Amino acid sequence: MGAQKNTGDWSSDMEIDAFRRLFPLRFYERHLTEAIRPDARPLKKCRDTSVAPGAVATADGSALAKIGSTTMLASIKMEVMTPSVDSPDEGNIAVEYYMPPICSPIVRPGRPAELAPVIAKQLSNTLLSSGMIDLKELSIISGKAAWMAYLDIYCLDADGALFDAALLSAVAAFSHLNIPAVSLNDEGKLTIVSEESNGEENVEKEPVNRDRRKLTISSIPLSLTCVLHKNYILADPTGEEESIMETSITTVLNTSDQLISLYKPGGPVLASTASIKECVSLTRQRIKELQDILSDSFASMDMN
Amino acid sequence: MAGKPNDAPATYSPSLKNKKHPFYKNSDLDWVRPDGRGFHQCRPAFFRTGAVNAASGSAYAELGNTKVIVSVFGPRESKKAMMYSDIGRLNCNVSYTTFATSVRGQGSDHKEFSSMLHKALEGAIRLETFPKTTVDIFALVLESGGSDFPVLISCASLALADAGIMLHDLVAAVAVSSLGSNLVIDPVSEEESYQDGSLLITCMPSRYEVTQLTITGEWSTSRINEAMELCLDACTKLGKVMRSCLKEAASTTTD
Repeated sequence: MGAQKNTGDWSSDMEIDAFRRLFPLRFYERHLTEAIRPDARPLKKCRDTSVAPGAVATADGSALAKIGSTTMLASIKMEVMTPSVDSPDEGNIAVEYYMPPICSPIVRPGRPAELAPVIAKQLSNTLLSSGMIDLKELSIISGKAAWMAYLDIYCLDADGALFDAALLSAVAAFSHLNIPAVSLNDEGKLTIVSEESNGEENVEKEPVNRDRRKLTISSIPLSLTCVLHKNYILADPTGEEESIMETSITTVLNTSDQLISLYKPGGPVLASTASIKECVSLTRQRIKELQDILSDSFASMDMN
Repeated sequence: MAGKPNDAPATYSPSLKNKKHPFYKNSDLDWVRPDGRGFHQCRPAFFRTGAVNAASGSAYAELGNTKVIVSVFGPRESKKAMMYSDIGRLNCNVSYTTFATSVRGQGSDHKEFSSMLHKALEGAIRLETFPKTTVDIFALVLESGGSDFPVLISCASLALADAGIMLHDLVAAVAVSSLGSNLVIDPVSEEESYQDGSLLITCMPSRYEVTQLTITGEWSTSRINEAMELCLDACTKLGKVMRSCLKEAASTTTD
């Protein structure tokens, strides 16, 4: 802006960069009037997304999810607990979400990101209320022992749409999960039945569940975050977009097309019914994309 | 089942407690390493820079089951409480994920590694090039498969180079474990748990200078010499792998 010098490409590049830093909102508005975003996406297009199941060797189920450069690593470890008296034939899921200092310049050691507990709570609400997993399937011996699934999600690279990526990695990790086969030992504790079953002691102890098994996963919850600015709706915002345009709407639908949650945490833009409807229909399209990505990634994993 | 105490930890991992027959016994002279490597053979090293976009520089390293990510931020403003300094500051932090070990851990900070990483890198960085500011080096161990600390150091020096921080040279680190009468290079976790002593060298391969040397356990002078030779030789080779990783990254960005 101002004195635009045209002394070669390099200097004009510098000018744009300075403009972007000094007047971020105007920089974006100039793009929005042209219906394009600085990363060359149309307003309603999501970034490239990929899922890699089985990324963590030490876990019972794991997945790495990437949306653009936002990266989430989810891992599930199964431990045994005594079920509560209220629900003797149900296991449980404990969700933890971490933003280690490596993921973003705003997180420093000892000073956790404000966002992290919010996302953790949203994730745990979404996973438990969506009915994706029947907690009864996590029971081992009714009233005596049940599985506690520890789901730990690490944000490795934070660049917007953190909840979407975290949820995607979580559902992929649950799809990848294999519940280990266990048997009772003399002390009344459960131990894993080794796959070769070479230990003689394992053979006689009647295995509590005979095979490693998968969970049955009914309708998967998936989400899309949109940023609102004036009349514009931007799907799948980057970190920069989220920090400049502060109003966001996160919609969670499941694959049976039911609404799980709709989250609009305030912000300067008041959403009209029309824009909320628009967000929901964008989410519906996005979920079809995500389902294909998920099934492709699991298909290619099975081939290997 | 009835005798299950209620005040036991809320959950426990049902993994097998009884160890598979140990691969190494004290009397053994003839034994094989758990992953079948020769005693003086390192695991193949994989490095990649630019793993984290949000950081100024970053690197990912994978040696066998050991997987680490290091991000570098800055140079940026020092904490307000810091005194004026005409050379730059370094701030290191190392943490583990909860799934780094086979039994779910706490995922806490590793204070010892944090301060040792600081000391290992300090000598290689030209701190005078960024006065009054701080460079933050944050590391996350995704999976711990043995020799975590040397891998962290090598990975951190690549991340620094990726961030464009001025260095005298890359820093490569290799550890040697002493098991009975044998010296094994680049030990895995299982070997580390049986070791009588360990030796870790952190050096700048092109300058042939050592920034950190850590020895634990009982060593004779001749064995120290032997181990140091082994480590320095391996550091030189590791340095070449790291250098080629940087060159590769530079050539792909200019294309």
